Amino acid sequence: MIPAIGLLLGILAGLLIDVEIPLSLQPYLPIAVVAALDAVFGGLRALLDGIFDDKVFVVSFVANVLIAAFIVFLGDQLGVGAQLSTAVIVVLGIRLFTNVAAIRRHIFNA
Amino acid sequence: MSLLNDLFDRPLDEGYALAAARRERSGGDDRTGSSWLLLIGLLGVALVFTVAATQARRTAGVLSAERESLMSRITERDARTEELESQIAAMQDELSAIESAQLARTAEGATLQEELEDMQAAAGAGAVAGPGIVVTVEDAPSEAPTTEDGAVDYGRVLDVDLQRVVNGLWAAGAEAVAVNGQRVTGLTAIRSANDVVLVNYRPLRPPYEVVALGDPRTLPSRFVDGPGGTWLQAISGAHDIRFDIRSEEELTVPASGGSTLRHAVPEGSS
Repeated sequence: MIPAIGLLLGILAGLLIDVEIPLSLQPYLPIAVVAALDAVFGGLRALLDGIFDDKVFVVSFVANVLIAAFIVFLGDQLGVGAQLSTAVIVVLGIRLFTNVAAIRRHIFNA
Repeated sequence: MSLLNDLFDRPLDEGYALAAARRERSGGDDRTGSSWLLLIGLLGVALVFTVAATQARRTAGVLSAERESLMSRITERDARTEELESQIAAMQDELSAIESAQLARTAEGATLQEELEDMQAAAGAGAVAGPGIVVTVEDAPSEAPTTEDGAVDYGRVLDVDLQRVVNGLWAAGAEAVAVNGQRVTGLTAIRSANDVVLVNYRPLRPPYEVVALGDPRTLPSRFVDGPGGTWLQAISGAHDIRFDIRSEEELTVPASGGSTLRHAVPEGSS
């Protein structure tokens, strides 16, 4: 119940606040999305493995988003922002795929 | 490679395993359920997704609006250019009417007038009418083989093809030539920019209608047998480009818009 309320509130807040993201922050949005996806699928897999922990989930989500954004920011300052965002996407993408594969095995036994 | 292997082997956050082990040790306290912390976390996740989605949609809106405004500006300027061109034509008509009225007063003026008209016809400064041929050249039908990356599109009529057709018409004895209503004069360039053929620096759209005035008995056969016809045969065989040649009794070729007289001036006289 509570997770559903959380999701609903988040969507509503996102729709209602309707903030214009400053142009300088826009490159970090896709990175944040991928980091959030990684946290979500990690949590889902942990749930199916029976070792889910809400504190770990929240901390890993926040930390993932912040660190991914920070790495890309650092890269931007050093002039390799595009390459570092690729690196972040690759690493998180690999984790995403492996976690989703594990979830798939849990659900479909295949 | 160990980094990548590590990534593949342990995609799950180690924190989950550690937390599970800690719970095991302390015994019980199963916290796999729902708590306020989870609510905040999922709220954050949903917030990130929603903001990203709205942002993406807004950016797309801005881009298409910019495109629209650019397109409307282009059409606006095009219309303005056409308006100015028709103004030029009207003024030139007026000018030549005044000119001929002045020249018609004297016998000397009348001969001068005839000479002037001949010269204008040759130079493209005046519209001419008479029998001639129309050569229509069109791109290959869309099923024709084209390269995937679009770098070289062989099914298209290129500026080179039109140049050869026009030169072939001159060689066959054409007296005046126009491509899609653009008079071809000694100062006309037929070239392409970004896959669009420009004649007199005006972009044209296929099919290209090349109108040539000349002797109706000899012009068609001389063109078909000459370099222009040969070239058309070659490209239609190799690249499926369609063309058609027909004779007509009554054709008009418009005057070229704005021909400026360019001449050298001795140094120091200006």
